[in-house]
Amino acid sequence: MLYKPSRAALLLALLAVGVTGCQRADELGPIASASASNTIREALTAGGDSSSSGGAVAATGTGWATLKGRFVFDGTPPQMQPYNVNKDMATCAPGGQAPLQENILVDDASKGLANVAIYVRKVSRVHESAESTDSNQPFDQKECVFLSHVYPFVLGGPMIIKNSDPVGHNTNISGKNGFNQTVGANGETEHLPQKEEAVPVDVTCSIHPWMKCYFLPRENGYVAVTEPDGSFEISNLPAGENLEFQVWHESATGPGRALVLDTPTAKELKWSGKGRFKVNLAEDEEKVLEISVPAAALGG
Amino acid sequence: MNNSFGRIPWLGVLAVVTMLPGCDSVDPPAFRMNMVEAVSYETAPEYQQEIADVLAALFGTPDEPFALPATGLDQVMLNRSAGPAWSDEAGYNYGLYRKHCVHCHGITGDGRGPTAMFLNPYPRDYRPGVYKFKSTYNPAKPTDDDLHRVLINGVPGTAMPSFSLLPGSEVESLVEYVKYLSYRGEMETKLIQYVFDELGVMEKLDDEGNEIIDANGDPVMERIPFDPTNDPDQREAVMDLLAEVVDAWDGANEMIIAPTEDSIPAEKRSPEELLASIEKGRSLFFDKDKGNCYSCHGPTGLGDGQQDDYNNWQKAHKKFLDETAKLAEKDELDDLEASLLDDREEVAESLYPLRNAIPRNLRQGVYRGGRRKLDIFRRIYAGIAGTPMPGGGPSAPGAKAGALTEEEMWNIVDYVYSLPYEPASQPQVVTPKYTQSITN
Repeated sequence: MLYKPSRAALLLALLAVGVTGCQRADELGPIASASASNTIREALTAGGDSSSSGGAVAATGTGWATLKGRFVFDGTPPQMQPYNVNKDMATCAPGGQAPLQENILVDDASKGLANVAIYVRKVSRVHESAESTDSNQPFDQKECVFLSHVYPFVLGGPMIIKNSDPVGHNTNISGKNGFNQTVGANGETEHLPQKEEAVPVDVTCSIHPWMKCYFLPRENGYVAVTEPDGSFEISNLPAGENLEFQVWHESATGPGRALVLDTPTAKELKWSGKGRFKVNLAEDEEKVLEISVPAAALGG
Repeated sequence: MNNSFGRIPWLGVLAVVTMLPGCDSVDPPAFRMNMVEAVSYETAPEYQQEIADVLAALFGTPDEPFALPATGLDQVMLNRSAGPAWSDEAGYNYGLYRKHCVHCHGITGDGRGPTAMFLNPYPRDYRPGVYKFKSTYNPAKPTDDDLHRVLINGVPGTAMPSFSLLPGSEVESLVEYVKYLSYRGEMETKLIQYVFDELGVMEKLDDEGNEIIDANGDPVMERIPFDPTNDPDQREAVMDLLAEVVDAWDGANEMIIAPTEDSIPAEKRSPEELLASIEKGRSLFFDKDKGNCYSCHGPTGLGDGQQDDYNNWQKAHKKFLDETAKLAEKDELDDLEASLLDDREEVAESLYPLRNAIPRNLRQGVYRGGRRKLDIFRRIYAGIAGTPMPGGGPSAPGAKAGALTEEEMWNIVDYVYSLPYEPASQPQVVTPKYTQSITN
């Protein structure tokens, strides 16, 4: 009698084994299908197919055109909080004032939204003014703030990383062009980025962990970051072809922080869930866009 | 008695039913998807499956690994490392990864083996292809020799043991398999990004490349499948991405940091010369303008400076968690956002607790990346990839000088080497209160 388990208890134990099984519960995601992968492997090992266009865009037009305009914030601009400055106070918080964060910068007068990155994904032709260059603006930091909050860079030459502070910094760039070197006080160093990024990547300083900005290396100069008044201009774009623009903002809630808009203007431009829209510009056309950005698109 | 006899069928049923599904009959181990990446890029389930299939085409399974000739990986070594652990009659061992590595680093090499959560530091996740202890410039891959050295020496101060007792051929096979898991992991992320960037639900185009319009005047939308079998462009894209991964690894040997002969300190230095170098190193260590080491390693060298940063593996998780929290805070979620939030929360729950990157305590004389002076020199020169530790040398071969000259870096090496021997680093002598009773 001592060891007699009740039938109910046995049944429960049985059920428990049946229900939980032996698999770990935290494994997520799909498992490859053997038959599908075999077929793909055969195709991949069968050798090249010369009919492929390689994803390049075919030139369909001639001449050049311009896209310009403004991004305007629609809503009550959020109050930017000061950075949590906790060291090197004399340099980083001059006069006891820590600098303000920059994640949503709206111009008081014009409601323009700064630091929106807008750039062309692929083009068939590049005007000589937008070709790769070795004359990018230096990347600089002062009072423990990166001077360009979103720093576009045209690949082709070295990136000069300056430090205009009397204290040492280190510049830690993530993404495909990894970089993490110290930059001495009032010194400079050099980075040799090689690869284009699809969206801006993080730049930080480990010594002053509140410092943050974004780096956007591109293969051509068809890239703009909106000014404090929200304006941008990309000139000498190839006319007569479908140009797809990517739009990005640090605080945007789209995938990869793509700026996803649902406004009437955006609908007209067939703005996608990836923060992209297409235009086809006529030769010498100067297209002007006034794009309203509701607070909700920036997580507000 | 009747009662206890009556129990037997129940026990029998229990035994049989437990054995039938058993734990042996579960599916063979499978590579699992990097869900932080997949969910961040809002990869739809159909695409997740297609990506898993393409990855299996490129790399096989944990029991049957595969390497395209383009990878340059050695199929024989991979076969030896993969699959269940066993030995043949001659004592030749197979399934080396599962025998020696999998319990920490996991089947997929994601650093999520069964013991991983209980270790500090967490085991390395090989999938980003980033390794800390190597001879190359910061963003460059490690060489085979670097990985070999880590296997032979282990990583002192962590749970990673030395495998120096394994036969050389087994260590080499494991190095190959670790690279294989990195190639696969890097490729997975690239495919997820490719699918996000290039595919998706798009306007259907006719042969001329024009949109097809339906009866309502709206463009017809279609999901572009990720199907390299039938799409030569996709096939080429996949092979281009693979080449990017392989090229970076193949180029590692050209990225080795070799100190210039003139800068290397003489082998036999007088105590005065050594002291002078240590003194220079000390002032650079505390120099805000140049070395700035103390900013993180602390004024005491105990690693008590900047402690609230994260390494790149943890940063990726933190970013994912922050974005998930931001989405959860949003006032109104549409259907798409609500389902995305569910996916995100499921993945967030599976992540291990976040940990800060704590700068090394330099007073212990324990050096994770090796205790040769050359190892410390390279840490200072290039920093430590994937961590907040920056380098003081040039950022790449041919780039301008960094914040420190090579001679200054050797000075810091000397100072770092002296720290464990300073009186402050020694265990404090405690005078026993009851000396009498001890000596008696």
